[in-house]
Amino acid sequence: MIPVSARALGSALGEIVGRERVSDDPGRLAGVAIDGLTPRWLVSPVAAEQVAGLLALAHEERLAVVPRGSGSALDLGRLPARVDVVLDLAGLDRVLDDNPDDLTISVEAGVLASGLAARLGRRGQWLPVDPPGGPGRTLGGLTATNAHGPLRFRYGTLRDLLLGVRFVQADGVVTWGGARVVKSVTGYDVPKLMVGALGTLGVLVELTVRLHPRPEFERTWLASFTSSSSAEAFVGLVLDSTLQPNRIELLNEPALRACAVPTAPAAIAVAIGSVEAAVDEQGVRLGELARQASGRPAPAPDNFWERYDRAFARPRDGVVLQVGTLPGRLAATVAAIERGRSSRETGASIMIAGCAALGALRVVLGGAALEGAAALIERLRGVVADFDGSVVVQAGPAALRAAIDPWGPVAPEAFALMRGLRDEFDPRRVLNPGRFVGGL
Amino acid sequence: MVLSPAFLEELRNIVGPDGLVVSAEGRLVYECDMHTFYKGMPDAVVLPARTEQVVDVVRLCRREGVPVVPRGSGTGLIGGAMAPRGGVMVGVNRMDRILEIDLPNRCATVQPGLINLWLTRAVADRGWFFAPDPSSQMVSSIGGNVSTNAGGPHCLKYGITTNHVLGLEIVTGAGALVGLGGKAADRPGYDLTGVAVGSEGTFGLVTAVTVRLLHAPEAVKTVLAAFATMVEASQTVSEIIAAGIVPAALEMLDEVVIGAINAGVGKIYPDGAGAVLLIELDGPRAEVELQAERIAAICRRGGALSVTVARDETERALLWKGRKEAAGAIGRVTSSYLLQDAVVPRSKLPDIMRELQAIAARYRVLIANVFHAGDGNLHPLICYDDRKPDELQRAAQANEALLAACLALGGSVTGEHGVGLDKARNLPLQYGEADLNFMYRLRRLFDPDGIMNPGKLLPSHPACGEGFRPARPTLPAGTWV
Repeated sequence: MIPVSARALGSALGEIVGRERVSDDPGRLAGVAIDGLTPRWLVSPVAAEQVAGLLALAHEERLAVVPRGSGSALDLGRLPARVDVVLDLAGLDRVLDDNPDDLTISVEAGVLASGLAARLGRRGQWLPVDPPGGPGRTLGGLTATNAHGPLRFRYGTLRDLLLGVRFVQADGVVTWGGARVVKSVTGYDVPKLMVGALGTLGVLVELTVRLHPRPEFERTWLASFTSSSSAEAFVGLVLDSTLQPNRIELLNEPALRACAVPTAPAAIAVAIGSVEAAVDEQGVRLGELARQASGRPAPAPDNFWERYDRAFARPRDGVVLQVGTLPGRLAATVAAIERGRSSRETGASIMIAGCAALGALRVVLGGAALEGAAALIERLRGVVADFDGSVVVQAGPAALRAAIDPWGPVAPEAFALMRGLRDEFDPRRVLNPGRFVGGL
Repeated sequence: MVLSPAFLEELRNIVGPDGLVVSAEGRLVYECDMHTFYKGMPDAVVLPARTEQVVDVVRLCRREGVPVVPRGSGTGLIGGAMAPRGGVMVGVNRMDRILEIDLPNRCATVQPGLINLWLTRAVADRGWFFAPDPSSQMVSSIGGNVSTNAGGPHCLKYGITTNHVLGLEIVTGAGALVGLGGKAADRPGYDLTGVAVGSEGTFGLVTAVTVRLLHAPEAVKTVLAAFATMVEASQTVSEIIAAGIVPAALEMLDEVVIGAINAGVGKIYPDGAGAVLLIELDGPRAEVELQAERIAAICRRGGALSVTVARDETERALLWKGRKEAAGAIGRVTSSYLLQDAVVPRSKLPDIMRELQAIAARYRVLIANVFHAGDGNLHPLICYDDRKPDELQRAAQANEALLAACLALGGSVTGEHGVGLDKARNLPLQYGEADLNFMYRLRRLFDPDGIMNPGKLLPSHPACGEGFRPARPTLPAGTWV
C-alpha cells in the first residue's frame, strides 16, 4: 500500500462526503477532541453511503474513527488509543419509515430523542427510553451506549426495543441485522450485539425500534424511609404484589434534595401508568405497602420526572457511575456507596438514584478528588463482585479513567469471545480503538 | 458417518454406559423433531447428567471432527434437533433440575432440560410465573426455548424468550465453558447472552440458564369475538393495536381450524364464524375491565357477529385448550400439512389475508390459519394428502408463495419457530450477502471448526462447507480508493 499524504487523505474524504463536510480547522477540531486527543479531521456525513465510503478509506489507510452523536457520552470508556477522524453523525437525521399502526419506526442514527418524542407524543406513543439528559441525545448514541432510565423497569432497555439495525462495518461494508417487524427470529440476533458496543463492531446508521402506547394516565408517588433497608423491603413488597408500575426508582437524600422534594434518608419513587381508575386504585395499595415497610407515602409533584432528569443529566464536571447490583442487595450496596462520603475516602457529595427493582443504580460524585473516587470505585467493585455485579464509570475526567479501568473486570472466558469478535470484525482497530472493555 | 469403536468407548467413559445410545432402535426416536419431513439419525446419542460431561463430549467431538447436535424435548418445528450429517446428538433431558429460585431478585437458574411449565409450577403457589409460553410449554425444554428464542401467545405483552434470559452458561463449539450475563444488570462488554439466545445450538450447548420471573397479574379477562370473514377479523386486530391497546395475547383462528377444534376437542368456538379472535387482557383489574370494554366496542364496530367474555376460569381454560390443541385437531381435516411461521407488519394483516386466499385458490390447496395476530406472526397450515405427490408439490409452492408475499409486505422469514434446516435456504430472502457474511463469521467465532449443529440456521455456502469465511468484502461502489 502506498502511503497517502494528509492533504491527499483530506481531499479524498472531501470526495466521499463533499468538501464542505470535512473540516480540518484547528478551532473546530479542538472542540471535538476526545480526552485531549485532537482528530485530524471532523467529518459530517449526511448519508449512510458516505459513512461506508469513509470507513472503507479509513480501513485502507488504518485511520482511527470515533463516531459521535450529540457528543454527550464521549467520556464513557477508556481513553482512546488513537483519533484520526471524528465522525459526526448528527446529519443522519431523517425518519425513514414511520408505521404508527404497527408501533414501529425506522430512523437514521442522528435523529434526536427529543424530536422523536415530540413526533410520537402527538399520537400517544413513545419510545420508553429515558436516561437523564436523554432528550438531547441521538438515537444512535443512546443505542451505542445502551443508555437507560427509570422506565426500563417496565419496558426494558434498547436491548429489548431495537428490532433492526443498519451499521457500517470497520471496512465500509453496509450491513443489516434484525427485522422491521415486532417479532422475528431469522438468523442471529445481531441488533443485540450492537447495543452498548460503543460502535466498535460497526457504526450505527439506521435503527428500527419498537414503540409503545403511552399510558393514558401516569401518576407518581414518593415513599420516604428512614433507612435504605426499609426502602429495599418496600421494593420487595411491590415486586411481590400485583401492582404494575412503570418506574421504581430509588433516591438517596442528596438526590431528593436535587429534585427539590422533601428529603429523607431514602425514598422510592413509584410511577403507575394505566387508565385513570387503575392508577388511583394502585396508588392506594402502594400507600399501604409503604406503610407496611414503615415508610411515608406521598404524591410526587407533577413534574417530578422532569426534575429528576435535570438533577441527573450529566453534570459538567463530576463522576457518574453505573452500579449493577441486585434488588436484594440494595441497602447493602447503598451503604457501601455512601461510605464514600467519609472524609477518609472522597469527602464528596454522593447522589444515588436508579431502578431499585433491577438493582441498576446511577451514582453521581460531586467534588470528589481523583484518588478518593478511584478508591471508592475499587472498593465498590469488591462489594458487588460476590454476585457478579459491576461498577462502570459512565462519565468522569480523563485522569480518573486513566488511573482505573472505567469498565472494571470482565470474566476471562467471556472476554476471550469479546476480543475474538473485535479481532474478527475490526482487526485494524479502526472503530473507537482502545475505548471499549479491556481496551478493545 | 461411522464412529470408531475407540471413539464410542471414549463417549461411554464420559457419560457412563446408561448415558450412551448406539443401537439403531434406540437412535430411531432421535431421527427427527416435530418437523417429521426432515430425518437424519445421529450415529450416537449421549445423555449427559452434568456440565463437565457436556464439556468433555464437545472437546472429544471437536478433536475428532464429529458433528454435535443439541436436543431438548424435540418439539421444535424446523428440523433443528436432528442430525442431517450424523454425528453425536446431545440430549439434555437428564439435566432438568431447578438450580435456584431467587424471588427477591426475581429470577431462577435452571438446567436446560427443565420443562418450561415446570418452572412456573414451582413458583405459582407464591404468585409468580415464567412468561415465555410456547404452545408446547408442557413438554418443551427451557434449553430448547432459549435455543430457538421461542415465543408464544402471551409474548405480545411480555416479550419473547430473549427478553427473559439474564444469563447463560454455555459450552462453545471450541469446548470452552463460558458464563455469559448473570443476575445483576448492566454487565460491561458485548451482549453475548443476547446473541447466543436464538442461535439454535450453532454456538454451543447451553448448560444453565438464568431467567427472569414475574409476579402474576391481578386480573385476567379473556374475550372471544367471532367474525364473518378473516379480513374483517384482521382489520379489527390492526385497529386494536392502532388504538394503543396491547393485550396480553391476541390470537386468530379461521373457520377450518374452528371446525376441526369443535369436532375434535369439543364445541368451544361459535359454529359458522369465518374467524374468531381470542383476546386476553391481564393486569390491574380496573385496567383490564376498561380495556375489555374498549376492545369489545372495536370488535363490534369491526362487524363482529358476537363478542363474549369468559365468565370463569373453566371457560377461560376451555378457550385456550382449543387454541393450544389447534395444530393437533387439524389432523381431522388433513393427513399432512406444511406449517409456515412468517411475519407481516400487523397493520398489513388484512392485505396478507386477501393474498393468502388468492394463493390458496391459485395452488388449489386448503390453508388453515391459527396464529398470533397481535404481532403479525402467521401460522398458516397448508394441507395436503401425502399419498398424492402433486398435492405436496402444490402445497410446497403455496408455502413459498406465502413466504414471498409476507416478505414483500416488509415481514420476516420466521417469527418464533426458528430457522433450523427448514428455512436455512430462505435467509437470503431477508438478508443480503454482507448481512449473511457477518453471521457466518459470528458463528465461526463460537464454533471455529463448524461442528455445532451443522446445516442449521444459515444456508450452506454453495462453494464451501460450514464455517465458510468470505474473503474481505470489496469496497462499495463509488468509493474513492
